[in-house]
Amino acid sequence: MNKINITVEHLTRVEGHGNIVVNLTDGRIERIQWQVSEAPRMFESFLRGKPYYEISHITSRICGICSIGHALCSLKATEAAMGIEISEQTLLLRKLALHAENIQSHILHIGYLVAPDLFRVGSVFHLVKTHKETVLKIIKLHRLANEMSDLICGRTTHPITLIPGGFTDIPSKKQLEDLRKKLTEIIPVCDDLSQVFLENIHMLPEFSRETEYIALTGDEYALYDGVIGSTDTGKHPIESYEAITNEFVVPHSTAKFARHARESYMVGALARFNLNSDRLSPMGKICAKRFGLKPVNYNPFMNNVAQLVEIYHCIEDSIDIVDKLLEKGLKKNDNAKYTVKAGRGIGAAEVPRGILFHDYTYNESGLCTKANLVIPTNQNHNNITKDLEAFVPMLLGKQEKEIELNLEMLVRAYDPCISCSTHYLKVEFKR
Amino acid sequence: MKTKVAFFDFGGCEGCQLQIANLEEDVLRLIDIVKIVSFREIMKEHSDDYDIAVIEGSIMRPMDEERLKKIRKNAKILIALGACACLGGVQRMINQWPVEESKEIVYGNSEKIKDNPYFDNFHTKAVDEVVKVDAYVPGCPIDRNEFVRILIAIIQGKKPPLPDYPLCVECKKKENICLFEEGKLCLGPITRAGCNAICPSYGSECEGCRGFISHPEERAYKEVLENYSISVEELLHKKSIFNYRYIEKKRDKNE
Amino acid sequence: MKIMLKEEFLSFVDGLIESMDVEGVKAKDKKFVFDRLGSSEELRLDYDTTILPPKKYFLPQYETIMKFDLSKQFSVKKEEDHEKRVIIGVHPYDIVAIKQMDKYFLDTHPDDLYFQKRKNTVIIGSNILNVSEKAFFGDMETGYVDSGYDLMITDLGDRVAIEIGTEAGRDLLRGYSLREASTGEIEEVKRIINDASEKAKRGLRVKPQKWHDLLEKSYNSEIWKKQAEKCLSCGTCTLVCPTCFCYDVTDEIDLTLKEGKRIRTWDGCLLRNFTEVASGEIFREKTEDRYRHRFNRKGRYLPTLLGFVACVGCGRCSSQCIPDIADPVNLMNMLAEEVSHLEEKSVSPHTETIIQSTEVEKPLYVPMPATIKNVKKLTKTEKLFEIELDNGRSLGHMPGQFVEISIPGYGEAPISVSSSPDGKRFQLIVRKMGDLTSKLHTMKEGDKVGIRGPFGNGFDLEALRGKNLIFIAGGLGLAPMRSLISYVLKNRMDFGEVTILYGCKEPCEVLLKEEIEEWEKREDIQFLKSVDRCPENEKWSGEIGVITSLIPKVKFDPKNTTAIIVGPPVMYKFVIDDLKNLGMPEENIIVSLERRMKCGVGKCGHCQINGIYVCKDGPVFNYKDIKDLPEAFT
Repeated sequence: MNKINITVEHLTRVEGHGNIVVNLTDGRIERIQWQVSEAPRMFESFLRGKPYYEISHITSRICGICSIGHALCSLKATEAAMGIEISEQTLLLRKLALHAENIQSHILHIGYLVAPDLFRVGSVFHLVKTHKETVLKIIKLHRLANEMSDLICGRTTHPITLIPGGFTDIPSKKQLEDLRKKLTEIIPVCDDLSQVFLENIHMLPEFSRETEYIALTGDEYALYDGVIGSTDTGKHPIESYEAITNEFVVPHSTAKFARHARESYMVGALARFNLNSDRLSPMGKICAKRFGLKPVNYNPFMNNVAQLVEIYHCIEDSIDIVDKLLEKGLKKNDNAKYTVKAGRGIGAAEVPRGILFHDYTYNESGLCTKANLVIPTNQNHNNITKDLEAFVPMLLGKQEKEIELNLEMLVRAYDPCISCSTHYLKVEFKR
Repeated sequence: MKTKVAFFDFGGCEGCQLQIANLEEDVLRLIDIVKIVSFREIMKEHSDDYDIAVIEGSIMRPMDEERLKKIRKNAKILIALGACACLGGVQRMINQWPVEESKEIVYGNSEKIKDNPYFDNFHTKAVDEVVKVDAYVPGCPIDRNEFVRILIAIIQGKKPPLPDYPLCVECKKKENICLFEEGKLCLGPITRAGCNAICPSYGSECEGCRGFISHPEERAYKEVLENYSISVEELLHKKSIFNYRYIEKKRDKNE
Repeated sequence: MKIMLKEEFLSFVDGLIESMDVEGVKAKDKKFVFDRLGSSEELRLDYDTTILPPKKYFLPQYETIMKFDLSKQFSVKKEEDHEKRVIIGVHPYDIVAIKQMDKYFLDTHPDDLYFQKRKNTVIIGSNILNVSEKAFFGDMETGYVDSGYDLMITDLGDRVAIEIGTEAGRDLLRGYSLREASTGEIEEVKRIINDASEKAKRGLRVKPQKWHDLLEKSYNSEIWKKQAEKCLSCGTCTLVCPTCFCYDVTDEIDLTLKEGKRIRTWDGCLLRNFTEVASGEIFREKTEDRYRHRFNRKGRYLPTLLGFVACVGCGRCSSQCIPDIADPVNLMNMLAEEVSHLEEKSVSPHTETIIQSTEVEKPLYVPMPATIKNVKKLTKTEKLFEIELDNGRSLGHMPGQFVEISIPGYGEAPISVSSSPDGKRFQLIVRKMGDLTSKLHTMKEGDKVGIRGPFGNGFDLEALRGKNLIFIAGGLGLAPMRSLISYVLKNRMDFGEVTILYGCKEPCEVLLKEEIEEWEKREDIQFLKSVDRCPENEKWSGEIGVITSLIPKVKFDPKNTTAIIVGPPVMYKFVIDDLKNLGMPEENIIVSLERRMKCGVGKCGHCQINGIYVCKDGPVFNYKDIKDLPEAFT
């Protein structure tokens, strides 16, 4: 009997803890599991009783990489609950913040987490020796994205300036002018990195599996605002998020799954691309074309390419936003005035890894009585498992080490943010 | 012989480890002076042979305790990285209620997760409530320059430099306008400096993420709040975000 | 007095901005700060006060003193700052404060770093147009100065009145059109100055001339405790004060591990660990003691030391103290209610302008390279280092003095010299305690260190000649005392009866075992040693008990013997009491004290015992001179 047992414990180069378990006997799949072993921190429980002005500071701590996204989504929910309307300036600055985070997270993923696989090395530290110039360019882009976040939010991880109704501090005219200059100057660096990626993209497997894609959609390439979009069922209001995400417990497992029109769905950059590609900025479209990325693409590995496309889009759109802000002129105290009241509000936003929902209920003193959070990676766990099940048979002829690497690369392609997903997923596949 | 450093994470958001990556070009300088033998978020390689173990995240389950104890045995020096490791993190607020109650709220019918070690949470602990910690890098997230300073001090054999005076010192040196003048409740006067007063510098009140100084002038501070008409309830809310450990200690002392 | 039209004045400012660093008062939200000017439009001469005073230009919040190259054995380079700078808008009370700073930093042990910045700065003062709520410079009579500036301007709306203070000021104005001021304009300026001073009077009932007496008489008042109960120990009052200049010194090295620097940064006596030494002892632990110290320094100690009252009535501490306890007006008035009659001293905040006539060449903080010639392990925690200066010269110290020993990247620490002053080499006995001493303990023959000094007030050898001496050393106190003992024993005939009493905790802690054996053998001295306790497995030929138990065991004439006492802080009271009870006069008692030190030259402020500096007035003191200092023996 030919047994192949693969256990990848504490998968590397992903955020958070997850294990891949595959057992094969004579080519027959006995078991495939994508296990999430991250310690549940149970945010929904301890948000109870906290005042509305502290909520976003707490929920940003769900994730270290997409904390700006969590904070913004959280603020949107609170503002929806209390009927707080933000100004145009606040909206533009928040979009900038989200763009900064998207660029930072995507280049971290492509450059630090995925690139080593393309060159079959263990980490970016090896690439410093063989491809120093490229690594320095990755760092340069990463640095700029961080400086951009610092400028708008005070800090990239766990933003400081974001509050209900606006900002505690905003950048100056000169600082925005400097930012615009730096954004324009980084584009050639992106082009160089694209070239390196393109030359090595053949190292990513060709694999395709039809599935549903869900992301925010709207008049623009939706990241901050929009309605829920599905490649299968079209548009849905944000308020129906529970019916869309459908977190439920599968009888033969201890996990909560998410599924909508099919047995699973995918969120993230590829989902956003599949739904909104015609609304990408010109440079984003050019990049997609260069890599042959067209909607609807069913190859999860192309999520990495979709991220690169989004980097271009975010840089170009940021330049537009800065121009708008400079044209209007910045107002120092532009925060919304409001009264604290009871209510329930739902906020949705696209963070780097996919669509995120925050749902809060407040009492008349402004204390949170109930909270529900649906995290992007959580919504992906089911799809990851289904992909693994479909991918493994394609790899049966290879060496065990090669199978293992391919499975790791598949999970990495999703750019999972496991610390965010406070749930555990265990799937058993028996044939 | 370069010092060997390994990074580990437990119950947290990995934002503190991300700050190491955020050293940008200095990461290259860092790997020149130490050998990183394990850093799950960035590297595939792993080795159990390390001099310094850097721990991010709080300890929440028996399986986490076991893993941490093994790491402590392997390491000569153990650094607690970030508010989760140093204090227990925001998730320490969960200690207000029995664990079972929290599990009900999040997972509903908890029959499915009973007897499952992944869900076997106990009340959240900081790292030094399980093993001995040799150095602390506080903050949520850490200040990456402070991490570098502390790491260099450890390599030099010096005591890790951690200020024991309030944030006010750094705010004043930066010529910030005091947030109390705007009627905001800032925990700066009782919180440990070292972050260069980053939040007040952006007009946002200090929330004490670095933990309190060793001798906070509690009575004087409460009196100040009375003068600015800030309620004790508001103070308790603010304090509990990052310093629920402190509230637990006081409650235990009074009992 | 000259007059310049406003437009011309603004061009003048813009002209300066084009060619150098111009700092002026700008708005920051609703407040004001001194900051770099981008254009004359930003200048706000109508300001009331700034958050931080202009002291930040002469003693920056963070200042690099020197840089190290750690790839070499001992390579330090002093940091030079030749940037020329103009500060516009300095109010008279701040100019008074700058003159005070000049006196403090340049009078004795002139500070070359301070001097460099000071000499390269042109001060354009500005008379006060608006008065902040808490300012009381009217009460302090600092609303007007006639010197200390290069130019003094008064904004008259469409014109600016200018008083020329120095040649440097006159030079700046070259090429700009000025005319003489009319009598009316001179009157207008006078009026503006008087108006401001009148507005800045807040009912201070005790004028600065009486602060010395008031503070002395109310040292034990309950008011200090009551006020301090509200104190956050946040340091704000000292940081924003124009006449506070204490600082801390630390070493940092960068990620390459090859380069580093020594920096000094603002410190404050209100902070709890201001007086903390490496062993963890804190010499001013109670908040009320620290709170009281600040006022005493300003109203009593600095006036005694340098002849000026170190408060200029700017009101910054009052307006920025969150619990509102820093206000000198309120405090002095409160204290005055408890005291009926107050003596006056002839002091005020004003002091002479000395900067014009000062030249400072010698670097104060750069250590001299020295080499460790020998290392001897004495106990588990103490080692003896024999050191020689690389320049071949002898240290030239007096017994009782100390050096500041530097290891680049680790810091600098004060260590008493343990050898008598003969020969090129000198010895230090060092206990492994903190970062620097721990590193020093790893060093070997041939390694290099930095030495500054010798510093401090040593033993007065002339006064001791011919006298009977009794040495009482506790623990590590033997280390500084040995420099005198060695000298005395080498010149035995020059002194009378000599008795040495030495005590420590346990036999394993005994320092200088061989030397002690020599002393025991000598017939021309009395020597007794004692340990507090002797563990079972250890041999001990001396006494067992605390050091005071040795006093009755030796023969000496208390009335005609001089006692030299050095030991842990707790020891002094007991030994001194026993000696006094035996009839020893107070002037016969000499002690050597330790406190936290950084600069070693009476600048950083850490070693203060009430009004005296242990590094300058000590470490050797005559007991009679310090017995009334409440902080001397804690």
